[in-house]
Amino acid sequence: MGQTIVYGILNGALYGIIALGIALVFGVMRYLNLAQGSLIILGSYGILFFFHLGIDPFASMPFVGLLLFLLGGALFRASFGRLIAFPEGAKIKNSLLISFGMMLFIDSLATLLWTGDERSITPVYSGWTLGVFGLRFPFIGCVGLASALAVIVVLHLLLSRTYFGKSIMAVSQDHEAASLMGVNVNYTCLISFAISVGLATVPAVLIGLKSFSPTVGIQWFNKGIIVVMLSGIGNIYGVFPAGLFLGIMEAISVYFFGAPYREVTGLVVFVLVMIVFPKGLFKRQEL
Amino acid sequence: MKKGKPYIGFCVGLLLLAMPPLFVRSEYVLNLFLMYFLYVIIAQSWNLLGGFTGQVSLGHSAFFGIGAIVTRLLWTADVPIIVALIAGGAGAVLLAAIVGIPCLRMRSAYFPIGTLALAMIAQITVGNLFPVPGSLSSDYLAGYKISSRYYIALAVAALTVAVVYRIVHSRIGLALVGIRDDEAAAEAMGVRTFRYKIFSLMVSSALVGMGGGIFAYHQVSYYYYAPFELSWSFLPTLTTFIGGLGTIAGPIVGAACFLGLSEIFAITLGEIHMLVFAFTFILVVLFAPGGLMSVSAKVRGLVLKLVGR
Repeated sequence: MGQTIVYGILNGALYGIIALGIALVFGVMRYLNLAQGSLIILGSYGILFFFHLGIDPFASMPFVGLLLFLLGGALFRASFGRLIAFPEGAKIKNSLLISFGMMLFIDSLATLLWTGDERSITPVYSGWTLGVFGLRFPFIGCVGLASALAVIVVLHLLLSRTYFGKSIMAVSQDHEAASLMGVNVNYTCLISFAISVGLATVPAVLIGLKSFSPTVGIQWFNKGIIVVMLSGIGNIYGVFPAGLFLGIMEAISVYFFGAPYREVTGLVVFVLVMIVFPKGLFKRQEL
Repeated sequence: MKKGKPYIGFCVGLLLLAMPPLFVRSEYVLNLFLMYFLYVIIAQSWNLLGGFTGQVSLGHSAFFGIGAIVTRLLWTADVPIIVALIAGGAGAVLLAAIVGIPCLRMRSAYFPIGTLALAMIAQITVGNLFPVPGSLSSDYLAGYKISSRYYIALAVAALTVAVVYRIVHSRIGLALVGIRDDEAAAEAMGVRTFRYKIFSLMVSSALVGMGGGIFAYHQVSYYYYAPFELSWSFLPTLTTFIGGLGTIAGPIVGAACFLGLSEIFAITLGEIHMLVFAFTFILVVLFAPGGLMSVSAKVRGLVLKLVGR
């Protein structure tokens, strides 16, 4: 049981970090970016490329992160940026459609470039485990958890301590008021979109070290969006705990009902939580 | 005279679409038409809930799939196909009553995601319960004729369009549009919004369940979870958005464009067709956000202006 919960926490950290990218875009711009999962998988292929060149997956994270950041900026300039002036409902629907097209595009591009085969990155340490108190901690999962926490701390500092973070907060609360106060809304949205795509790097490494193929992006997106909803829309600080919650619930369900119903249990928990707490598990804070 | 016009167009269209099986021998063409009717059924029934009532559902694959499974099981147990189809629709309504109504309590972005979760639960559960494909026995294969499938699909598609048209052009339709435009205001005017939302969901799921029945009647062999796949949830959303949300003609035009484009690209472009299709799709959403119906309205306005001068 203790071992189950350890795995649950490590999986939950992955869910949380996936959800963070989705939540940032949703909170600031009210965009639903279906393509986030596919962008993560694209990142995994990038990591795999560097791995074949002999660079360690964790060491290549900064390069891939920078590439994804630039790609995010380009995608925003080319498509999502045109939706900024739309009313909120139209933004959600249109961004859903655009990102659906983008997801199709990225997935079929990945299939053409790397075939539909399932890939996996296997460095020497992929099987290592650390034993503490009789529990086994997979080495990769622990490094993943640590890098997820590091990213969250950096993001928190960015949001709470910098002038740019303040402008992100302002835009997420009220576009119009923010622009009247002299915030460059377009620029703020561009950078936060690019950051959210850049955030795909951490899950890209972790998923790359498990296994991936061009079409699994949407499954990871599903996990992420459920975590975002659990935490409550617009609540960035609740995302990571909500991810841990989902991971632990899934792990416990595997313990009791077996692996085939793991996803179902997670989803049932989600629907029940939504019915009981329609605003999410964690109280809404600013942003 | 103006009031009779849509009925005349509807009847003429129906007559024209009833012709192909009489002289077209190519199974490919007939299958394509059948898929078109199926797309119209799914998209138009989705349009009632998503376009006219404003509840964007991503859970229609669950209702579609349950309709398919009920129809298939009954039909292969020697129940007449018409009865099996209606039972499929009833099955979808039952599922909607049990699980869809709680979802209707969710507002704004929660409803699409809640229904998406529902669709995923249904897909995984059915995949676990029925892991083998359902194939037709030799008796059924011997009696398999595309033309009977064609006419039943056409009939259900016509029924769907007619039902949605009747509902939208009635007092109920006004209430539904009121809910879409401003739920709080509609409620303040004395519209019992929750009841109307339930009504819209029920009709929509019944129609899409019958669409699932058509799928089960048409396919010779498929995995039971295939109609539960999430693409069946995205399909009506996409086709309706391409055509024009909240218009009767939107899903009909959208389904034709969607199916036509993906077919043409698949034939002419080979391997890269999905890339080109996805790219075209993004362009349509970016430059015609109201769908093709809004483009045609703009063109008509432009032509009238030019003629007027």
